[in-house]
Amino acid sequence: MTSLIDRYVYTALRRVPEQQRGDIDRELRASIEDAVDARVDSGEERDAAIETTLVELGDPGRLADRYAGRSNFLIGPELYPMWRRLLITLLATVLPIVVLVGVIVQILDDPNIGKVIGGAVTTILTVGVQMTFWVTAAFAVLEHTGVGRESMKLDRPWTPKDLPRYEPNNIPRSEVITGVVWAVLLIAGLVLQQFTFSDVPVLDPANWTFWWPYMIVSLVLSAAFHVWLYRHGRYDRKVTVVNLVQQLISMVPLVWLLVTDRFFNPEFDWFAAADADVKGWVTKGLLLAVAVSVIDIVKVAIRGERARRGLPSKVPGTGNYNFG
Amino acid sequence: MDATLAGHLQELRRGTVVVASLIVLRSPGYGYSLLETLSRAGFDVEANTLYPLLRRLEAQGLLTSSWNTDEARPRKFYRTTEQGDALAGTLRDEWSRIDHAIGDLSKTTGSN
Repeated sequence: MTSLIDRYVYTALRRVPEQQRGDIDRELRASIEDAVDARVDSGEERDAAIETTLVELGDPGRLADRYAGRSNFLIGPELYPMWRRLLITLLATVLPIVVLVGVIVQILDDPNIGKVIGGAVTTILTVGVQMTFWVTAAFAVLEHTGVGRESMKLDRPWTPKDLPRYEPNNIPRSEVITGVVWAVLLIAGLVLQQFTFSDVPVLDPANWTFWWPYMIVSLVLSAAFHVWLYRHGRYDRKVTVVNLVQQLISMVPLVWLLVTDRFFNPEFDWFAAADADVKGWVTKGLLLAVAVSVIDIVKVAIRGERARRGLPSKVPGTGNYNFG
Repeated sequence: MDATLAGHLQELRRGTVVVASLIVLRSPGYGYSLLETLSRAGFDVEANTLYPLLRRLEAQGLLTSSWNTDEARPRKFYRTTEQGDALAGTLRDEWSRIDHAIGDLSKTTGSN
């Protein structure tokens, strides 16, 4: 029969590194016996003395943690801020992109609203849980092996320069330039595909009678909108409405042409080659562009509303300090 | 309020057990004897904290140990090293510096 003391010591030692066990075993037993003897000497019954002594020593698991110098947390205060920032970044940026791509693929495959929503929810759950689990697991390993603790100290420390800037009205110059360049590139692409990219044009040449010139005009308008916005100098309801209109002017005909199958040139023979799904990829790209337009409309509307209330918005490109 | 007080007291006392142990163990002692000495001296220390602490101080070179098997019950005796003694001295100086500083603070604010 094993005594209570034996059971206590075994339980504690199981969680202590093996090379320390022999020494701790002898020392812990001696200490417990000493304490029990002291209680017996002062008049307690032996069994009761053993029990009180063990109660005072407490949970053998915690005692083992203390002997082994182990921390009883998964991710400690040094790594926690980094874990939190990385996880938020992943869940707020990478996850939506993954979900969006999944939704687009599903729409192209089978545009059934139930399947689209079901697929999106499933992606959010599975990918979100996977991301959270693996990030947490990686940080727990870092925490408990101490690997990387030193290399993290090499990171430059935080300085006030890393604070983001907030301004109620700020039209980032980079966004204006991107908007204009994008429009110019699309116009160039639209014109050049007729003559240079392939022997037979990719897009339906029948549309040169109306829809392709219309697209060029709408892209010029889009470029003009960005220049106007920059000179206008602030977001407000006018900007929101003008942006909505200029986005819809190009987006609605684009979707209509795609849906009614008037977008691509039926003569374009690459579509026949089954292994090069050019049409499929171009369609996916265009749908992605539509999704970006929708996001842009919402973003501009939110900025306009924030500016109207005088709330500052974070200036893009500032305050990107993310580690340490 | 009791929980708040207990938390602050624990915070304030953290580290004092190390100084006390290094001072007591200038003459060799074993785990339970040190526990007794410390609690008689008014240090509220628990066995499950003290025993692992002794091993940590030993690993840091502040204590040395040897097994005494002369008696019926073999016991591990710890003794403060020179390094441990020097460290204890530094910690005591710091302790009295803080004590003085707090005394000065309460004097200056008390005179207002």
